[in-house]
Amino acid sequence: MIMSLSRVLLYALMLIFAFFCMLPIYSAVNIALKSGEELVKGPATLVMRPTFMSFVKAFKLINKNLVNSIKFTVPATLISTILGSMSGYALSKIRFRGAGVLSFVIILALYIPPISIMIPLVSFMRHLGLYNTIYGLILTHTAYGMPVTTLLFRNYYTEIPDEIVESAEIDGCGLFDIYRLILLPLSIPGFIVVLIFQFTNIWNDFFFGLVLTMGAENQPVTVAVANLEGTTFVARNIHMAGALIAAIPVLLIYVLLTKWIVRGLLQGAIKR
Amino acid sequence: MLTIFLFLSAAVILTGIFDYGFSIWSIIASFTRWTGGEMIGEFVGLKNYSELIYDYVFVKSFMNTLILMGIYVIATTLLGLFLASLLHVGLKGSSVFKVIYLIPLSFSFPVSAAMWAWMYTPERGVINTILRSINLDFLTQPWTSSPSQSLLCIAIAYVWQFSGFATIIYYAGLQAVPPELAEAAEIDGASTFQKYIYVYWPLQKSTTVSVLAILLIYALRIFDLPWLLTGGGPAHSSEVLSVYIYRTTYNQYAFGYGAAIGIVMLIIAIVTVVPVLRVTVTKRGA
Repeated sequence: MIMSLSRVLLYALMLIFAFFCMLPIYSAVNIALKSGEELVKGPATLVMRPTFMSFVKAFKLINKNLVNSIKFTVPATLISTILGSMSGYALSKIRFRGAGVLSFVIILALYIPPISIMIPLVSFMRHLGLYNTIYGLILTHTAYGMPVTTLLFRNYYTEIPDEIVESAEIDGCGLFDIYRLILLPLSIPGFIVVLIFQFTNIWNDFFFGLVLTMGAENQPVTVAVANLEGTTFVARNIHMAGALIAAIPVLLIYVLLTKWIVRGLLQGAIKR
Repeated sequence: MLTIFLFLSAAVILTGIFDYGFSIWSIIASFTRWTGGEMIGEFVGLKNYSELIYDYVFVKSFMNTLILMGIYVIATTLLGLFLASLLHVGLKGSSVFKVIYLIPLSFSFPVSAAMWAWMYTPERGVINTILRSINLDFLTQPWTSSPSQSLLCIAIAYVWQFSGFATIIYYAGLQAVPPELAEAAEIDGASTFQKYIYVYWPLQKSTTVSVLAILLIYALRIFDLPWLLTGGGPAHSSEVLSVYIYRTTYNQYAFGYGAAIGIVMLIIAIVTVVPVLRVTVTKRGA
């Protein structure tokens, strides 16, 4: 077993990094709870008289954007997950020529820098009349979600033994029936993982929201929070409170559903 | 055959248009003078590319992009292996630390940028205030307001955000090592530290490839934190290609020129992704 001295050292190292992880979060909560007078002392000193006024004010400024984010995150999450399950099934359980190449091409798209396709994307959306609309954001997030949802489901379905599918084939089941009657009932954990993964990704997205929206009307909450900073009439404690409000949904998922988050992170990493 | 296509149609059509189609559109646009009104501009040949070579900001941001990607990927990988090993020793409370290390990953970039802006503020910022309060005034730094530190500050924030991700993957990699191997080393008199150096870490090669493959995806998406924390400043010291593309496109309406820089970014993606994917693909035997 480990001697007590090295045990102390190990705890010290773990604590130092935990401190590094938590310090920005501590100061953020600290700032958001400070009133105007305490704000001048900066974010490091512990708040003496905590007030939730900044949260109330920030909520008034961004509540419309929170609704916007829900409006595109929920549909885009659902659609990209269902479509990813279908393509993941086809690429892992149906044998056809070019399946390997096609998997590679779809997954390789993850490595295309979004900034490299930004200009065509924005032009495309403008010409379709989808620029600065919720539908445009749903379409964009669904499209750019396809490589990762396909990858996650492909890796998930690979773990299901081929024999199950083969015996159904012998029984005369069609491809669609195999998917509906055999794969889907076994996919519930896979769906939970991918739904959570996609929800957190899309909710947190800043880049596509920035380039595809303009003005408060359809802006996601991430963009609204970024815009709160630097506006002279919004104090910095309110900006931080707004940032924390925007962070809460995904933060809660991470803390309460850590197991599923970890599964999702690993499922994308495993290569077969 | 038709059913197979139905299952794959959405993935094929959407990635076909939004990823590969738009990449080709970008390549074509990079040979044009385009101000954004039409679907494409007028053809000017290699003009945009030849201008790039004489563009000081482009050269600077090209170098900065590589430096930032490099620091971010290497530091996050090493820290991930180190933290995963600490957790893997299995002291009481390790699972709590695992959750804590993962929390920064849950924040969107505007949220983490807001937090790090306060960390780095020179006057009343968190880091400098703490240093002053423990009488280490001489260690206080200008952080993001200094041209020599701004890029490193951004790298630190990225490492902070993603090290938990690398930790989780390495942790699973360490767990996959058969316990008999470590036990055999223990019988031979290896200390805990030696077990990691000689048994666990050498067996993390394929895990490391997975970690690199994932971090590279995010490294190629670097835009948000430099854009939000420094805007590329001061004096272009933290300018990266993505931020420069955004500004040339939207402030100067130079869509063709922006597209050309985007193609340079795409080339960086291809050059960096090939070695990583070659290892994974050959491993998979696909």
